[in-house]
Amino acid sequence: MENLKTLVDSLYLLKPEIAISCVLVLVIIMDLIMDKNKTFLPYVALTGFIITAFLVVEQYFFKTSITQNLQKLLVIDAVGAFFKLIVILASCLIVYFSLISKEVKEAFDRHGEYYALICGMVIGMFFMISSADLIMIYLSLELVSLSSYVLAGFTKNSLRNSEASLKYFVFGAMSSGIMLFGISIIFGLTGTTNLLAVKSVMAAGGNSLTFLFASILIFAGIGYKISAAPFHFWTPDVYEGAPITITAYLSIASKAAGFALLIRFITLGYVQQIDASGAWQLVAGSIDWKKFFTVISILTMTLGNFAALWQDNIKRMLAYSSIAHAGYLLLGVVVLTNQGLSAVILYFIVYAIMNLGAFLVVMLIANKIGSEEIDDYKGLGYATPFLGVCMAIFLISLTGLPPTAGFIGKLYLFTALIEAKMIPLAVIAIINSVVSLYYYIRVLKHMFLTRPQNEDLVINTSFAEYVIVLVLAVPVILFGIYFTPIVNLAKNSVALFLQ
Amino acid sequence: MNLEIILFILFSVIAAASAVIMITRANPIISALFLVLNFACLAGLYLLLNAQFIAVTQIIVYAGAIMVLFLFVIMLLRPEHDLTLQKKSKIKFMAAAAGIFVFAQLVYIIFFFSPNASQKTSVQSSINSGTIEQIGTAIFTKYVIPFEAAGYLLLAAAIGALVLAKKKFE
Repeated sequence: MENLKTLVDSLYLLKPEIAISCVLVLVIIMDLIMDKNKTFLPYVALTGFIITAFLVVEQYFFKTSITQNLQKLLVIDAVGAFFKLIVILASCLIVYFSLISKEVKEAFDRHGEYYALICGMVIGMFFMISSADLIMIYLSLELVSLSSYVLAGFTKNSLRNSEASLKYFVFGAMSSGIMLFGISIIFGLTGTTNLLAVKSVMAAGGNSLTFLFASILIFAGIGYKISAAPFHFWTPDVYEGAPITITAYLSIASKAAGFALLIRFITLGYVQQIDASGAWQLVAGSIDWKKFFTVISILTMTLGNFAALWQDNIKRMLAYSSIAHAGYLLLGVVVLTNQGLSAVILYFIVYAIMNLGAFLVVMLIANKIGSEEIDDYKGLGYATPFLGVCMAIFLISLTGLPPTAGFIGKLYLFTALIEAKMIPLAVIAIINSVVSLYYYIRVLKHMFLTRPQNEDLVINTSFAEYVIVLVLAVPVILFGIYFTPIVNLAKNSVALFLQ
Repeated sequence: MNLEIILFILFSVIAAASAVIMITRANPIISALFLVLNFACLAGLYLLLNAQFIAVTQIIVYAGAIMVLFLFVIMLLRPEHDLTLQKKSKIKFMAAAAGIFVFAQLVYIIFFFSPNASQKTSVQSSINSGTIEQIGTAIFTKYVIPFEAAGYLLLAAAIGALVLAKKKFE
């Protein structure tokens, strides 16, 4: 009864999760009651997501300590709330994208399931972001994965779509199995699944070899979600085969949740304390995360950038680019400082906007010309100047050139590296950015510098499309010039970071 | 030798033997049946560890439901024409290497290193904690959030299965 009472008292901490669960149930029931009429389902989901977003914003300012938090299963803090905000805003945009996506519209009879599974993913990601217990980590990861396997193969209208779903499933099952094995070793070593308790047992004289092995196994599960280098194999095929809305969703929301989980896992399970300068002191005898992440991030960025050079399908190219971006984001984790964390947060704001924007333009063009091959983009800059210019903005921002927001994000990441005296790594990252310029600009070259194959091709943009593209394109330029608000948001989130 | 040790040796020997037989058979049906035997012996081992609930679940869920599913899938796939996996010695070698590595890890953890070995749990409390009552209380109080999360996991799985099973979009 004691347990139950504390749980009921702390239920207010779970408001966003409860809200999103209600949305899930509501979507399913509405779908059942209204049978054939499914046009309003996206609006139900959208309204629910917006309400949830408000609850998440409210959560940003909660002041709680871990001991109060729901039997130490979940941690509610500002960093978590920030990542939840990224997830929920991305979900809102994805629902909007789905409204104007031809691919999703064609699978009209399965819309109920589509939105229900998106809600399922959001619940999973929320739990992932705040979990402080290995059981929660595993369950939430599985919830996100299961929903996304199905969503990746959702349209079912082409072979590559089913292939994407199957490949995603096979890789996902493997890595979650490996992760579960790591969790079972840790439970066997320490007799507990709570990360804080694990840390204290290991600090009291743990064995580093087995612990190290188990930690790497658990990282396999997380690395798969953020598509870090040795676990990235699924990314290009899934991103290419899945409907574009889901590709965009996986590249933002699922990655954000994965990074939040990674940061949570490191800070709760391995960081002894954070000293005055903001550096994270690891528990004695734990795995040397600094070296480990250095290797992983160099591998991830280099592999992502160099593989992207040879791609002819734009979705595949953006998939490799998102692998490369996971590498850059890992740079912020490598340094193991609060400054690095705030750089990751800042980069995520920027990355979410520009990557969603790029996928949106690809989707709008695919709606019209029915192709995602870069060769078919010849002369599109003339057929649709508006989309062409916006695509240019997003791609230049993804490269990280001023005056776009991408530059600010990279600048802060590299600054964090240099302040942590990791100059060689910073140099490698900068060389990688230069390499990435080639494949982003190649798309623009096709769009603007080649004559169109079909001279009279004119692509019209509807009002709804104008609005959403502008909503994403304007901030990319705006945050590139006036970046104080996002920098302050990042710093403020870290200041409220719960220990 | 008391009964507990005799039973332990009996169950574990059968479990280990049936596991080895299972992975070496060419016919998947025979493999599946040996897997059932393996699961049953594991259930016996759980009973010896005072985990009655897990033992019963093991029998009902694994040896019962999941194995029926396995056999159905084998029947539907008719894999007798597809025995290429058996012939690839490279895969066998990799599998053996992985198996030995995992075995070494487990031996190392159990015999040479166990940080929680000092924590002595009394037999009575271990019997109590294995009962359905205790597990139910824990699930609905301390672990209610993971329990709910598991509920959503099943819901998502059910919806997903529905999407995959529905007829192709015409």
